[in-house]
Amino acid sequence: MFEFLFKYPSTVFSKGQLVLLGTWPVWLLAASILVGAAVLGWLIWKRKLGTGSAGRSAVVWLLQSAFLTLLLLMLWQPALSIGTLKPQQNIVAVLVDDSRSMAIQENGSSRLEQATKTLDSGLLKALRDRFQVRLYSAGETLQRIQNTASLKAQAPATRLGDALKQVAAESASLPVGAIVLLSDGAENAGGIDLNTMSAIRQHRIPVHTIGFGLEAMSHDIELVDLQTPSKTLADSRVQAQLTLRQRGYAGQRVRVTLKDGGKPLATRDIIFKADGTEQSEAILFNAGSAGVRNLEVSIDPQKNEENVKNNRLTRVMDVDASKPRVLYVEGEPRWEYKFIHRAIDDDHSLKMATILRTTQNKIYRQGIDSPDELVQGFPTKAEELFAFQGLIIGSVEANWFTPAQQELIKEFADRRGGGVLFLGGRFGLSDGGYLQPPFTDLLPVDLPSSKNTYHAQTAAVAELTSAGRDSLITRLDDDPVKNVERWKKLPYLMNWQDPGSPKRGALVLMEASPAGSTRRVPTLITQNYGHGRTAVFATGGSWRWQMQMPLGDRSHEVFWQQMLRWLVTGSPGRVVLSTPKSLLADESRVPLRAEVRDKTYQAAGDAQVEAHIIGPDGLNEKITLQPSAQERGTFTTDWEAPKPGSYLAEVVARRGNEELGRDVITFRREDGIAENFRTEQNRELLEKLSAQTGGRYYRPNEAGRLASDVEYSDSGITVRETRDLWNMPIVFLFALMLRGSEWMLRRKWGVI
Amino acid sequence: MRPRIVVSIALLILSLLGTIYAQKPFREYPGAEYENFPLPPDWRENAEFSRARLMYPSISRGWGRYQSWTIDYPRSDRHLLAGIRRLTRIHTRSVEQPVSLDDPDEVFNWPFLYGVEVGHWDLTDAQCQKLREFLLRGGFLMVDDFHGTQEWEIFMAGMSRVFPDRPVVDLDNKDPIFHVLYDLDERFQVPGAQWFETGRIYEKDGIEPRWRGIYDDKGRIMVAICHNMDLGDAWEWSDDPRYPEKWASLAYRIAVNYTIYDMTH
Repeated sequence: MFEFLFKYPSTVFSKGQLVLLGTWPVWLLAASILVGAAVLGWLIWKRKLGTGSAGRSAVVWLLQSAFLTLLLLMLWQPALSIGTLKPQQNIVAVLVDDSRSMAIQENGSSRLEQATKTLDSGLLKALRDRFQVRLYSAGETLQRIQNTASLKAQAPATRLGDALKQVAAESASLPVGAIVLLSDGAENAGGIDLNTMSAIRQHRIPVHTIGFGLEAMSHDIELVDLQTPSKTLADSRVQAQLTLRQRGYAGQRVRVTLKDGGKPLATRDIIFKADGTEQSEAILFNAGSAGVRNLEVSIDPQKNEENVKNNRLTRVMDVDASKPRVLYVEGEPRWEYKFIHRAIDDDHSLKMATILRTTQNKIYRQGIDSPDELVQGFPTKAEELFAFQGLIIGSVEANWFTPAQQELIKEFADRRGGGVLFLGGRFGLSDGGYLQPPFTDLLPVDLPSSKNTYHAQTAAVAELTSAGRDSLITRLDDDPVKNVERWKKLPYLMNWQDPGSPKRGALVLMEASPAGSTRRVPTLITQNYGHGRTAVFATGGSWRWQMQMPLGDRSHEVFWQQMLRWLVTGSPGRVVLSTPKSLLADESRVPLRAEVRDKTYQAAGDAQVEAHIIGPDGLNEKITLQPSAQERGTFTTDWEAPKPGSYLAEVVARRGNEELGRDVITFRREDGIAENFRTEQNRELLEKLSAQTGGRYYRPNEAGRLASDVEYSDSGITVRETRDLWNMPIVFLFALMLRGSEWMLRRKWGVI
Repeated sequence: MRPRIVVSIALLILSLLGTIYAQKPFREYPGAEYENFPLPPDWRENAEFSRARLMYPSISRGWGRYQSWTIDYPRSDRHLLAGIRRLTRIHTRSVEQPVSLDDPDEVFNWPFLYGVEVGHWDLTDAQCQKLREFLLRGGFLMVDDFHGTQEWEIFMAGMSRVFPDRPVVDLDNKDPIFHVLYDLDERFQVPGAQWFETGRIYEKDGIEPRWRGIYDDKGRIMVAICHNMDLGDAWEWSDDPRYPEKWASLAYRIAVNYTIYDMTH
């Protein structure tokens, strides 16, 4: 229909440029239209009584002016200028997705069979009539093939980006006029990156895509992603975030199971949201003892499910054997100190050293590693303080710290990436003189300017905020509902302190309602600060959660252990090794990155960094990481994991003979899983690819038009052609419609 | 009335009830030796610490006027607490807090409990159970002023019902309780006020002073037992020129160490 009315295919209009072939200048056209419209207006105005009213005159004027404009425009000979490929001088690359997902059966045939049928039933011949056609199989690599019989749909992964990049590279020496891609769009090797896209656009090669596969399955559950921390402390409560979507099972309740090497870690019943909606579910589990966790999350196959291979996801997580240390400085003997101490004594994954001011001139130290440690009190050197991962500042006056120590505390969070927790107390927060730099920067609250903010022996009931209900710090029970109930059962705090107002970006996890007041005071506030994090717990009275709860209730211990784990989790060691991909799904390239710092946590750009990798079948390899030019103290390398299996990489950083530090990570390569995911046709990707390169997306039943559309391209060997527009049927129809409309209106008004 | 107002009033009432059922306010009882002992100026202070004095039924006199839990009360408590206030950074008021184990949850608000003349106590089963719960949750009990074999057996009759399964052991000199603030390697017997009249530093057959204790599963002292000594009298008479300074001084130092030990372990 479009082509009947407009004479040419829509591609001509989308790619061509409008030109006026008439020799008269364009300004004359504009002037003629204006003058003509004015003359018509004057004539109609003079005879307005003939139409009956001003409104009717205006309508008549508009219709006549439009007709005049159309006539004048045609006199200037409008046309489209468009580049077309020279027949038989250009190459059209036909890429057929040969990955396993193309073997999925739909409506009685596989996607690949549908694609070959589309090619063999006329498309390939139509293309060969006009161009030289090169046929490729696109799987893990791009391979040229002679005919469609070579396609097997067995490649373990689709790398559309790499395939397109290769064809774009070939176009440097060959006249590639267009690319035709037949695929389900199930790209699972990281997407089509910007470099590939820009390379194709640079060569101005249009990519026409033909999509195969159902755009939406009728019954399928797909686990899209499982986010877990790459590292955690032993016996930590860990939150895994599962993203999934489904079709055909909305409202159904299913059980999600998380396992470590076959051993169940957690189960959770969830209810599916609406079809096609991506939903996120948190799964809490205990990290267990130190070692590598091979996590597998799964949902049992459901009735009539079309693809059950995407109901399972795996991840690798390191459970760290190290015991982070927290330094707790307390300005007076008090019950909070005693009971925090006892709570952390129960935690075998944390160590706490304490400095307690027992008298004006004496300190008492506990949890020290050597008799000399902290013997002079609070550390004065960065390397001494930065040996800890967390710092708690209790009821101790701000001015007990020297200005240099105060600056060190700030650097502890900012540069070293440690966690600092401020407790409420007689000498805490505003009452302790913390309303001064650098503490005002460091605190997650704007402290009140007045003193007497600490209310000793004044009961206050603690209650979780909505953020607190989601936080791992305050999670006493894995079940969110039971967790809230447990908090409601906890006895009141023995005292409370007004910490002021939370800063922007800070998170209030707990509020307290003081006795005799309807006011709610922020009590537990956290924020990220520099490379680290800071928090305020504005009370010294949580010890009642231990003394007032029955023996065996572990609420107090669990809260404090989780509080301190939050404080130290993320406090980096001096050497941090990381990789963005701990699970290589049908991939082998492992980017390794090590951040190296010295004892004062300054970037050690002059370090020598070596990684030792142990892998399957006795693989034992040493590689050197190279310093990054962009980031001082960062060392990188790309390594190829040769076989599927688990790998362990330990990196050691040295400066001369001095070892700066070491770190270990694990990763795993798994083959043959990527194609089980995203099996629905990714039409969005194919459409985007076509739109960005000047091509078009086609359904298989529209592919017949493709051969003629391919003709219009600016790539390869082209000629510019002009196509007249004046003789389009739509022009005559439009002219007829204008005149006819006027005639009908006049008849209606009775003014003919 | 609007629901919001109703909720606010309910919250206010609940908060007030919370205060009422919170830690009980200071209260004085008639003592065996003192009545109308003057209150120190800080008696109303909302302090972090006060030492709870254990109220218990005695073996012979029951809950009568001359109950043994009130021996030295309140003079010794107030002298000692003023000393702790002066010598340490513990924020304490200078008045004690008498606490009964029959009060449902009150003892759990006072993690340091002091029992005097426990050679006369006669705890009920419910009190034993409450005391056991208190100690295992993290409370600390210091007992003092009982002498000789007979009073030891009476004390143990009660304590073995509190902890049938935990041994009483002599405290080692190296234990942190003797070093947490003062180094107390050199300890000696501290006599009570009977010394004014008898000139003897021991009572009954309690010739040898014993510093004993009961530990929890983590090696922390839960019960500190001062047998064959009268630290209570030493605090009580520390302002009397007749009472030798060295005994008073050691009694204070032991009490300070025990208090700080409790607040750190």
